Amino acid sequence: MPKKIADILKEKGIPINFQYGGTAPEELVDREVKKEPDPRPKKLLNLYFDTLSSATVEFPYWYTRKWKELEGDIPVIRRATAMKYAFSHLTPTIFPGEKLVMGKARYYRGSFPMPWESEGYFLAKEDELYQAALKKGSASADEVSKFGSGGGNVTKSFGSVVSIAGKFGIREEEVPALIRLSREWVGKSVDDLRSKYEQMMPDYDFKEKIMRSVICMFESGFTLPLGREVINYYYPLQYGFDGLIEMAKERKAEVAGNAGGDGVIGMDRLYFYEAVILVLEGIQTWILNYAKEARRLAAEETDPTQKAEYEEIAECLEWIAHKQPRTFREALQLIYTIHIAVLNEDAISGMSPGRVGQILWPWFEQDMEAGRTTEEEVIELLELHRVKMTCIDCFASAGVVGGVLSGNTFNNLCLGGLTRDGRPATNRLEFLILEAGIRCACPQPTLSVLYDEKLPEDFLLKAVECVKTGTGYPAWMNNRNAIEFLLWQYGREGMTLEEARAFSIGGCLETSPGAWHELTLNGKTYEIPGGAGQPTSVGVHFLANPKILECVLFNGRDHRTGEQVYPAHNRKLETYEELWEVYKQYYEMTVDVLCRANNIQHDIWRKNNMSIFHSLLKPDCLTKGHHIGNLGIRYNGTFNVESCGTVNLINSLAALKKLVYDEKKYTLDQIREAILANFGFKTAEEVGNYSLVTQEKKEGGEVWDDIHTDCLLAPKHGNADPYVDAILKEYEDWFCDMCTKYESLYAKPLYACQISVSTHGPQGAVTLATPDGRLAGTTYADASMSPYPGTDRNGPYAIFTSATCWDQTKSQNSQLNIKVHPSAIKGMEGARKLLEMTRAYMRAGGFHIQYNVVDSKVLRDAQEHPENYRELMVRVAGFTQYWVELGKHIQDEVIARTEYEAV
Amino acid sequence: MNGKELKHHDCRNFIPVDVAKGICNVHKQMVLIDTPVCEKFRTLPKCKNCAHFTSDPNQDTMGTCEAEKTKPWTFADLITVTCENYSAK
Repeated sequence: MPKKIADILKEKGIPINFQYGGTAPEELVDREVKKEPDPRPKKLLNLYFDTLSSATVEFPYWYTRKWKELEGDIPVIRRATAMKYAFSHLTPTIFPGEKLVMGKARYYRGSFPMPWESEGYFLAKEDELYQAALKKGSASADEVSKFGSGGGNVTKSFGSVVSIAGKFGIREEEVPALIRLSREWVGKSVDDLRSKYEQMMPDYDFKEKIMRSVICMFESGFTLPLGREVINYYYPLQYGFDGLIEMAKERKAEVAGNAGGDGVIGMDRLYFYEAVILVLEGIQTWILNYAKEARRLAAEETDPTQKAEYEEIAECLEWIAHKQPRTFREALQLIYTIHIAVLNEDAISGMSPGRVGQILWPWFEQDMEAGRTTEEEVIELLELHRVKMTCIDCFASAGVVGGVLSGNTFNNLCLGGLTRDGRPATNRLEFLILEAGIRCACPQPTLSVLYDEKLPEDFLLKAVECVKTGTGYPAWMNNRNAIEFLLWQYGREGMTLEEARAFSIGGCLETSPGAWHELTLNGKTYEIPGGAGQPTSVGVHFLANPKILECVLFNGRDHRTGEQVYPAHNRKLETYEELWEVYKQYYEMTVDVLCRANNIQHDIWRKNNMSIFHSLLKPDCLTKGHHIGNLGIRYNGTFNVESCGTVNLINSLAALKKLVYDEKKYTLDQIREAILANFGFKTAEEVGNYSLVTQEKKEGGEVWDDIHTDCLLAPKHGNADPYVDAILKEYEDWFCDMCTKYESLYAKPLYACQISVSTHGPQGAVTLATPDGRLAGTTYADASMSPYPGTDRNGPYAIFTSATCWDQTKSQNSQLNIKVHPSAIKGMEGARKLLEMTRAYMRAGGFHIQYNVVDSKVLRDAQEHPENYRELMVRVAGFTQYWVELGKHIQDEVIARTEYEAV
Repeated sequence: MNGKELKHHDCRNFIPVDVAKGICNVHKQMVLIDTPVCEKFRTLPKCKNCAHFTSDPNQDTMGTCEAEKTKPWTFADLITVTCENYSAK
């Protein structure tokens, strides 16, 4: 029986604990707060649980058919017409019991590929084109990304169903059409064109090596070009689609033939307004096709209740296809419809609804005052909204959907924050949103509290009640930090303090600019927030910090691929300063080449595949007459540099500094040998588990015990240890500043983004053992401020001290996740402790904290018996996901996190 | 087309939940797509049921839409409830 690291550590008396603050009870402990969805959403949620992720080629077929027909036309018109044609031809499906209707595709959990973005991975494995795609660096992340095989993921083909992109099922009858569609986009897709033009960069081969080594997780220009941003529902909510079409027609007449003082893109306004009209007409037809379907079903229905419900659906859709909504239900249906329409325009994750409680407040207030609705009815609608949002699937490659997103779509709904004039923005509807989130626990929309000292205590305690359900939401975001960051990054684009207060979170925790809008409903005026920026987390995606250190230690070579990724530095690394200097050089080379490649990708995207519907929703596209690619959107400095594995990097630097440079106990060569020997352990792949604690010793591996013990005992992040905190501060000061040296295609400086999403799984999988004692192939610490599992020995307040040793307002975000045993926060006393702990972190300057309230034993049991846990959700890093839909790397990592038995 | 070839997703009464199953709106129950249809079957408009569809002699799941001047390619199982050119055979 091979020895496991947990046993070895125990024998050695090394204080690496996976519980802090006591010992968990022996029995399985469930979450304290548990409510049931109302009957209607429960039925629809149960249907979701039994539904497979299903893809269809309907949308791409109609889109491509029209696109081909318009060859030679102006790209924005060609795209808009193709979009109109596709929307107009989607098959409407309405499921019995639904009040909110419509979807991305005809299936309940439907989606579709967009071969105009990238076509390679849609092709069957034996296909020659797929083989060619595999040779591209971008395919490397696919190989190391794993989906959970449970839930609705179709990870294997069966019967007449073919598995594609590792997650989606498609009917075999549609596969020949998919292949044909894919072939039609060869040489024309954003992916193929970017490949052609990226090769004009002199260091293109270097960039491809970076991708093959998975030092960078993915590229967004042809995978997820939009998202991690906040949508803006204002214009359709205020004017209705008819009003917007009228407005575009008027503007079109004004600008036709006029440059308007802009000799470069002034003339483009005509085409943009025409494109707006075309797309809006397509969306109207799409909505009205659903209305017709509701009428058809009503005509055939024998049950009078269901018949009446179909008729209500038809009336609602027939109205919102043209006009400003009249009721809360119509407004909710409209924002959901807008949301889905945007998601159908492009491959998107993290299109966040924003501050929905504040956006829909006018309808809620007026319906309540008029007695048109009740709070219970509103909660039911909000629960239904949760189910519909949970049904959203994002179709992209396996590496992106599995390795980065874990199948999640990151529709973040924010609560709290401040009004334009600095008052708490919470309202009664936000309480109901929390209540719906408690009753109808499902991943979407995930919730975030924009925490501000001014927010009322009862609201914060309601949010804590929601946390105690174990859903992993709401996450807590520091309102003040975000505002400071926004003013720093967007002040140069004219952002004021008042406008900064309109922000919300895009995706999991990407601070995104917003704007205030005056909305009039029945003669009463309100001010509502909405997104006002381009997508964020477009730029340089997830750099594997420990992997870059590995390359520094091994003279630029990646031992996994055998490639010389970086030019050999040939330095002896005799001092810590020299090591750090080379690290920064390699890192900056990486950011530089990826930034340029990314700029080419997004430039091709904006020329051929620009967003039109998404653009017109955001200020100031309709006013300026320009889409996103022509800088129509108000804030454009949104591109960033994302990192992953920060804590393993910091812990490794601390170990090297202490053991090699300060104490000189080992030479760098001895450390290198130990790393290559994986400290005498088998690889994680061999063991079949990806957390440190379960790794097994090789026979004869004991010779590495001393060095491994010392590496594990070296100072670790999260213990308020000034030795390691100083290293973190030096890293952060450099990193946040370094990012701003690089420029996006929109000629704006980049900035730091520090989240891991799921990338700490696959990027850990490609990384050798690290000097901090982490073993080869195991996951990195999650997030950016979470301690490595079992190494936080001084409690949560020590973590806070370490995590706030640097100025977090210089980064778009930072991320800290803490796993808490349900018994640690029991009752009102436990709730208040959790709130005080959260408050303490926010006051110290932390940006984000989130809690996984779960008994680790439940997770272990769920891993062994997934069939019993279809509904179990956990928080990963910025998102909540069903346990059974997570890949094993991430499951192992969540289990391994330190569990707090007391707070 | 004979009855043996028909699948539930060829039926107008079928509400597709996913690629394997859906709800029969007549019997109000979940049915697998690839199981025999019943006597209540009603043809769902699809290209293969359209008078304008010409099947590809080399691959019968693919074909051509003769209704448009450009004669675009299409496929037999494309649902055409929203197609302005659909004409039942």
